Amino acid sequence: MSKHLLKFTVNGRDHALIVESHERLLDVLRDRLGLKGTKEGCSTGDCGICAVIIDGKLVNSCLVLAIQARNKKVTTIEAIGTAQNPHPLQREFIKFNAAQCGFCIPAMILASKNLLDHNPSPTDEEIKDAIRGILCRCTGYQSIVKAVKAAAVEMRK
Amino acid sequence: MRMALKQSKDLGTPQTVLIGKSVERVDSIDKVLGKPIYSMDILPENCLYLKVVRSTHAHALLRKVDVSQARQYPGVVLVISAADIPGINESTALLPDKPLFANEKVRFIGEPIAAVASHDQAIAEEAVDLVKIEYEDLSAVFSPIEALKPDAPRIHKAGNVAKHLKLRKGDVEEGFKQADYIVEGTYKTQFQEPVPLEPETGFVIPEPDGSVTCVGSMQSPFHVQTGIAKILSLRADQVRVIQAVTGGAFGPKSDEMPVDILGMAAIVALKTRRPTALAYTREESMIGHTKRHPFTIKLKAGVKKNGKLTAWEAELVADTGAYASLGPLVVTRALFHATGPYEIPHVKSDSYCVYTNNTMAGSFRGFGGPQSHFAAESHVEEIAKIIGIDPLEFRRINMLKPGSLTATSQVVDEGCGLEECLEKAVEASNWHTKRSEFAKQTGTIRKGIGIAIMYHGNSLGPEGSDYVAAHMNIDKDGTIKFRTALTEYGTGATSGLLQIAAETMNLPMSYFKLEPPDTDYCNDAGPTVASRTTAVGGRAAQMVAGKLHQHLKEIAAGLLGSSVDEIEISNELYYVRNRPQRALSYLEIVQSAYKNGLELKVHDTFTAPKCEYDPETSQGTTYLQYTYGAVTAEVEVDIETGKVQVDKIVAAYDVGKAINPLSVEGQIEGGTIQGLGYGIMEELTHKDGIVLNPNLADYYIPTSKDIPEIKSIIVEYPGQLGPYGAKVIGEPPIVLPAAAIVNAIDHAIGVRLTEIPATPDRVLLTLKKKRN
Amino acid sequence: MRRFDMYVPENVIELLSYLDDHQSGVRLIANGSDLINRIQRRQIEARVLVDLSGLTEFNYVRNDNGIIRIGALTTIQDLISSPVLGRHYDVFRDVASKFGGPSIVNVATVGGNICAASSSEDLIPVLLVLGARVRVRSKKGERVLGLDDFLIGKRQTAMLPNEILIETMFDELDDQSACAFEKIGMRNSLIIAFLNCSVWLKVGKESKCIEEIKIAMNRISDKIPSRAKKTESELRGHPLTKEQLENAMTSLKSELQLTSDFRVSKEYRQNVAPVLFKRTVIKCSERLGERLIV
Repeated sequence: MSKHLLKFTVNGRDHALIVESHERLLDVLRDRLGLKGTKEGCSTGDCGICAVIIDGKLVNSCLVLAIQARNKKVTTIEAIGTAQNPHPLQREFIKFNAAQCGFCIPAMILASKNLLDHNPSPTDEEIKDAIRGILCRCTGYQSIVKAVKAAAVEMRK
Repeated sequence: MRMALKQSKDLGTPQTVLIGKSVERVDSIDKVLGKPIYSMDILPENCLYLKVVRSTHAHALLRKVDVSQARQYPGVVLVISAADIPGINESTALLPDKPLFANEKVRFIGEPIAAVASHDQAIAEEAVDLVKIEYEDLSAVFSPIEALKPDAPRIHKAGNVAKHLKLRKGDVEEGFKQADYIVEGTYKTQFQEPVPLEPETGFVIPEPDGSVTCVGSMQSPFHVQTGIAKILSLRADQVRVIQAVTGGAFGPKSDEMPVDILGMAAIVALKTRRPTALAYTREESMIGHTKRHPFTIKLKAGVKKNGKLTAWEAELVADTGAYASLGPLVVTRALFHATGPYEIPHVKSDSYCVYTNNTMAGSFRGFGGPQSHFAAESHVEEIAKIIGIDPLEFRRINMLKPGSLTATSQVVDEGCGLEECLEKAVEASNWHTKRSEFAKQTGTIRKGIGIAIMYHGNSLGPEGSDYVAAHMNIDKDGTIKFRTALTEYGTGATSGLLQIAAETMNLPMSYFKLEPPDTDYCNDAGPTVASRTTAVGGRAAQMVAGKLHQHLKEIAAGLLGSSVDEIEISNELYYVRNRPQRALSYLEIVQSAYKNGLELKVHDTFTAPKCEYDPETSQGTTYLQYTYGAVTAEVEVDIETGKVQVDKIVAAYDVGKAINPLSVEGQIEGGTIQGLGYGIMEELTHKDGIVLNPNLADYYIPTSKDIPEIKSIIVEYPGQLGPYGAKVIGEPPIVLPAAAIVNAIDHAIGVRLTEIPATPDRVLLTLKKKRN
Repeated sequence: MRRFDMYVPENVIELLSYLDDHQSGVRLIANGSDLINRIQRRQIEARVLVDLSGLTEFNYVRNDNGIIRIGALTTIQDLISSPVLGRHYDVFRDVASKFGGPSIVNVATVGGNICAASSSEDLIPVLLVLGARVRVRSKKGERVLGLDDFLIGKRQTAMLPNEILIETMFDELDDQSACAFEKIGMRNSLIIAFLNCSVWLKVGKESKCIEEIKIAMNRISDKIPSRAKKTESELRGHPLTKEQLENAMTSLKSELQLTSDFRVSKEYRQNVAPVLFKRTVIKCSERLGERLIV
């Protein structure tokens, strides 16, 4: 079959669409649902830039065929914070200059949020572990680790 | 009643409010929210997608390019190749050596030959396989040493040397005669792949009047405009180029790539009257765009017993791949810096930019600096060893100081913080303690600490006219819009321009808005390369903001009935000196201007003085100012596996004036990690012209688990060129880590690696060779 | 990505029936971390994919009377999160911590790792030393093979076109045995191994001799992970002295049949394989709480 009915939930909203077999979750999020926050860095699952959260787990969306996301709950960067009310992670990323070109940032924020949801007081090493699958070429990672650490402190208040 | 600002103490330099402050960047919020801001996020409706057909042969004549089958594939809208180019088949950076689509011959595996357009990316991809190409193989050459031989296959009509440059200072033979020791060494560096995390992307919209609007990931909008106009046979004003938010650049997006991408898309857009997009895959990006030149550098140094260098001879051979790109300029910078930051009376250097049938080398952060410094900073360690002087002391004896002459006979001025960088790095790294502590080690893990120092000629120098245009206007609501064709791609430097403008106008940064670079709305600012945004762009920002500031004061003076000189500003209030009771707010002035039809719009171009030097000897003023730096690296080497772990890096840079210290640290940290990758793990491997690792699994850039602790130290010795004495900092941090790490490895295990990257393989095998 | 068709079975019976009817041109996809990567790199062509991801009943870790059974669709993350692992936790943790980032560990499956049958698959050496067997099932029934029989060659398994891998099993480690895994690559995350090594060691309670030892590396030969049987036999039954260990390291070096590749030279692997083996053995002995090497 080349077409399938996909029913799934994205950022709390239910969707039902016809998808083609070769469409990836990344393509459906970006091109069908207009959620451009998830980026494509390599298409082979090597860089982590396309990471989203599926049923509470960080997953590379370029490796998930859309139909494989059926009945799952997907969270993308669009669900995190707003311009008027940014998430503490977003505030700290800005404060520590952790977003340079910005291309890895949605994935970094989702990975960090996933970490803090399970571990509210991570060590530096635990933060580095949480983002070890996401490549950043601009920052050298130090400012990202600092930002996540600071956000953890903020969120514990 | 508002109080005037307290008068600042007379320190000789003006008190500043925003300069030197780590203010937040203006572009961060959109990035952390994941807003749709990059090229592929903002595609027009009903876009066509292009897929490129690429050469599978390294050097061959193109006998036949048959697109008929591909054209007929269901869903394919158009297939284009060289024959479809309306104008000139050229997409190049400097020399007219590179076509948009290969025409008579192909020169590297991966060279674009044709492109397929469809409304569906999958269909375009499938149809690529249907384009039939007949090649007639020519002998190929994959090493510059081979390419320099007289019987080597000719890659371009004019031969295989794209550029040869000479530097002659004094008389090197005389210098060697004065030496007590002569030390020779050969050093090799590799292709380093820039890996901007957003691959090359762009789209073109055909406008009703026959013009085109080109939007893409790029560094130099006007270069793109010129290139596209040539390809399409249009006037420059018929090609509008807008830079979309760009996810990393580092060099490859400054030259041919955006012209390739948007040129192909524009041809299709014009023919089909549909917006057309092209996004390279990571693999295409790594094969297709420019990388750091591999260099083979031969050094011969003469030195006296007392440690003073008397002579330095260098031969630098760079592999520029199939097309030169900015290779001639890279070898120029490498040539000028081939001695390292030392004063040497007699220097003879030659650099060669050589064609091969490998993929292209061109602009990449550092631009010849990393290669030259790896060689020079390795060589001085060897020299110091041979004459029995401590390498730190050796550097102190020979390094550039105010009054020194560089290799190009330029006098180093007072704005030289090299010594302070060195001493601060030595102190912060606990150098002496570690140097002696690590000297006595047993066990499997050996620690070492190494150092390297540098200088980096700022901005374009000899590379071209150095000018930036800036535009500012104030909207009715008081928003001050700043526009320049200098592009932001992660450094935060354009935010810094707003900081400078705000400082100049004595207004809060929140009033300022940065407009996207758009050739329809601003004048040329040159390429955003050579880290010039702050140093040169900042001067333009000062100039234009100063003009607008003056304008507002004039309006205030008119309204308050005084002369302009009597107007003072404090807390956004404009008033006559000594009569602060009657003050006008900034907004009131703006509104008055609008009411009276006075324009609040200014623009101007800052042009840096020209660098004059003798092209035969490279003697003269090669750069207007220099950034200096010193880096120490602390490593652990596993002597059983050769694996090198970098534990700590101290990086001290004389940046003249840190406009935004947080941004400066961001550049230092990011550049340091790129430099670390260059030193120990990154190598784009070619074999017979094929890139063996065009993906991020097999080409290793550092992950979060590979980073050392980085301590950044900012030193400030104001330069002559930049605003507030600011110097460039975008590129310098990538230059030294490799050299410092290799020197640290030598300290740890007594092994001198003359080739990078210092992979476990290379380290272990060199160690074993030494033992046998 | 080029287009292909996909069949999404509702349950395993439908799946096996489908595979029985379509014995060529069809590829199985679990969570895609290996397959999609290879399709994108044009290493394989996909015409019809069969989606296994819905068959969640094959995601389990069980201890059935001393036999650990792991469902083929168990992710690496689910594997190390399982409370059932007991003594095996350490070695699987060794693998998972260097397997790739969270976004890979969350989706890569045990079955996917086994069926990929290449030297990049870190689980394979571990399963080989644990003496793992695999159970495959078709419409016609099931069969069980030793993992080493199942892996035929580079990216080749003994699985028939109408079969699926449903689980892997191995005997539980007793308190005289330990297992460890080591890996070395160019960087500290997202590592494609130059070399990896897994050792399973069983030590006599009284004798302190090596009762049983199994050694597997991803590159004994160039093809796929396999056991270093000659070295094993030299160590079996002996106490592990420093001398014995050094002899074993020399023996291991002689068992290697390698060539250089673009990642690393043959000489490097020859020099480091014995070192990696030594470190893995030491890790095992630490897990036994023994100072084994006398």
